[in-house]
Amino acid sequence: MTDIAVAEPLVPVPVGPVPDDPAPVRRPGLLHALVHGRGLVGLVLVGAVVLLGVLGPLLAPYGPTEQVAGANLLGPGPGHWLGTDELNRDIWSRTLYGIRADLVVVFAAVPVGAVLGVLLGLVTSWWSVTDVIAQRAFDLLLAFPALILGILLTAFLGPGLLTVGVVIVALEIPVFGRLVRTAVRTVREMPFVEASQVVGAGPAWVLRKHVLPNSLEPLTVQLAVSMSVAVFVEGAMSFLGLGVRPPHPSLGSLIKDGVRLLHDAPTFAVGPLTVVVALVLGLLLISQSLSEARRA
Amino acid sequence: MSPAVPTHPRRRLRRLAAATVAALTLVAATACSSAVDELKNTSGERQEGGTLRVGALQDIIPARIFTNSSDGTDLLISSVYDSLIDYPLDKLEPKPSLATSWELSQDGTQLSLQLRDDVKFHSGRPFTSKDVEFSIKTWADPVWTVQLQRTAAAITGFDTSDEHAITLTFAHPLSNIFDLLDMLPIIDSESIDQLREGKAFVGTGPFEFESWSPGAKLTFQRNDDYWRGKPSLDGIDVSVIPDPQAQVSQLRAHQLDVILGASYRDFETLGKDDSFHVNKWEGAESQVYVGTNVTNPALSDVRVRQAIASALDRTRVVDEVLRGAGVPISLPWPGYSPAYDEKANATYDYDLDKAKALVDEAKADGVMIPKLPLTYPSEAPIYGSIAQIVQADLAKIGIEVELDPQENAQVVQQLIGAKFPGLWILRHAYAHYTPSTLAVSAYPFNADHNASLYVNPDYKAAAEKVWKQKAGEVDPADYTALNEQLLEGSFLLEIAIILPQNATSARVHDLGETKRGEPVLYDTYLTK
Repeated sequence: MTDIAVAEPLVPVPVGPVPDDPAPVRRPGLLHALVHGRGLVGLVLVGAVVLLGVLGPLLAPYGPTEQVAGANLLGPGPGHWLGTDELNRDIWSRTLYGIRADLVVVFAAVPVGAVLGVLLGLVTSWWSVTDVIAQRAFDLLLAFPALILGILLTAFLGPGLLTVGVVIVALEIPVFGRLVRTAVRTVREMPFVEASQVVGAGPAWVLRKHVLPNSLEPLTVQLAVSMSVAVFVEGAMSFLGLGVRPPHPSLGSLIKDGVRLLHDAPTFAVGPLTVVVALVLGLLLISQSLSEARRA
Repeated sequence: MSPAVPTHPRRRLRRLAAATVAALTLVAATACSSAVDELKNTSGERQEGGTLRVGALQDIIPARIFTNSSDGTDLLISSVYDSLIDYPLDKLEPKPSLATSWELSQDGTQLSLQLRDDVKFHSGRPFTSKDVEFSIKTWADPVWTVQLQRTAAAITGFDTSDEHAITLTFAHPLSNIFDLLDMLPIIDSESIDQLREGKAFVGTGPFEFESWSPGAKLTFQRNDDYWRGKPSLDGIDVSVIPDPQAQVSQLRAHQLDVILGASYRDFETLGKDDSFHVNKWEGAESQVYVGTNVTNPALSDVRVRQAIASALDRTRVVDEVLRGAGVPISLPWPGYSPAYDEKANATYDYDLDKAKALVDEAKADGVMIPKLPLTYPSEAPIYGSIAQIVQADLAKIGIEVELDPQENAQVVQQLIGAKFPGLWILRHAYAHYTPSTLAVSAYPFNADHNASLYVNPDYKAAAEKVWKQKAGEVDPADYTALNEQLLEGSFLLEIAIILPQNATSARVHDLGETKRGEPVLYDTYLTK
């Protein structure tokens, strides 16, 4: 029989901060990033454009398709701040209504695409068979550049704002699906997930309680990036005549008209272009600031 | 001396990027300015040969090569083919071309033509009277959907016993026989199958077809054995550029010498610049119109169609879209046409009250007017603008319209097949020819079968009457009757006469135009 010698009695480890140890630095939250520095600039830019769009009907002196007698391709002036187009329509009013068309696309189609992509990514990447199928489907969608996909879908659906929305949803599903898949594969290997599975947690519970909350930050960053891409896609599709149908305005169709009349009315495109730049830049700044805050 | 502070890599990258952008801007500006300078510094000295670079909006479609339905086709026809006679732009007076002289019989049912004996096809085969017969029979074949098919089919006899003379016998007098001879290209029978496939276009014209890349390019080379003498140019390169703005940009950048498609506003702007010439072709007019499918329940009521006619602000279209290069009309005829009637031409002057009253009257009688589709070609810039003006005009009288821009090829297909569901906007020609040509031949007017599906025995009788008279001897009263039918039926609502335009760089000289509206490049030359 062996005797066990105890050198000294066991002392319980003290709970709470260790004396003289510096307090752990809390990283700034995403909200903090949005109201400081470039995040704030982005928020102001996007906020200004959104405000213009929301208040458009109150701010616009004319209807978006109203043709003002005798006001043919006028330059900027007191009656028409941004001038008129070749069909006598007030460009300022059309720009305000054009913003609304873009906002619908940005704030409806992108979230829809994101939600669908996240759900697909979450559900399919847990099991290897569904994962392979979903990833190949995502590969297929990602193989098409945005505009080619736009042209392809327009051939079936016809041009219009709805088609632009469908294109953007189709573009965003694989992006968000892939992002969530990465999170699933990382998080499910973590000890706390294994622990929860040991005590009987099923896949749905794990995905909902562990995986999804741990994926939200990168998804938020991607959401802002995707919104800026959506502005670009709408602009490009309308520029090519695949987007909003005449006579209704969108920022892309206004830029198209402005470019066509660049020689006769060089200021025509300035308003819509400024708005697009503000929206894209603002959303990119927001995504950058969120991304940096996440990495901090 | 303090040591140099090493630059931060990111800052260096920014500087490099800024320098690159500045350099690219400078290069681009230099390139643009040098191109413009090159244009302005033409010496005016005639250049021997050279290739003319032309921008066309629409490509050719071999199966519709004889339908005058695209600017690419027009250029091909005028460059590769000759016709038997040519009309000058300012009158309907036949001038010799492949036919040197002609004689119409007293009753107007026979025409004898003497043909040139020194003409060869591009293949080297001599041109004979058999080729005239073949060409007329080809046009009479409905498979080619030629607009003057009925007139060609009315030629029932061909005496080709003499290789260099032909006598044509008609089923009845044809008032528009010389219109047919002006429009009919003389086609090579041996290569008709290749023509159908777009592989060969063999004629007797000043340029030989060289190659065709569908949707991209057409090339032609000079016909050194051309019977009128060798053309000045070595060849023609036609680029299909569906975007009018891109055509204007390429003309400004000296990448094109001639552009066939641009907006009238662009033509107006180019005309103010000494570096370019803008040509307006009086005598080759076309007409822009709103077509109606009269089988559409809303449009089957003539009051609705007449209301639309009265609601069209034609003056605004002419002033703002055509930039003054047009004339508002209710009837298709230009002022010099034998069918022109000034009073009748003002029948549908802009009158919203009258239009509104007609719509109200129709609605009171139970006519439902749902949202009507308005189809138009998306490529040509004037149609989109006119369509939106028409949409706004009709909204004022309570008729809602949904714009339906489509590719030109699809629109032409619907025109030929009479498949438009509601309204459409297009151009037609032929009103500057003998009036019967319009009434019995043009797709939108053909009294037998038109794009509006308008069937009316009185209209058909009026059209046939002006058609079946001896050329040059039509009774003016019959034109009055035809005009009445056109106005009463109102199946086709004229907006304006349009003067065709094209623009060239200052290096291009002596560009011509046929009455058919095709560019003539035989005399064209370039300066250095």
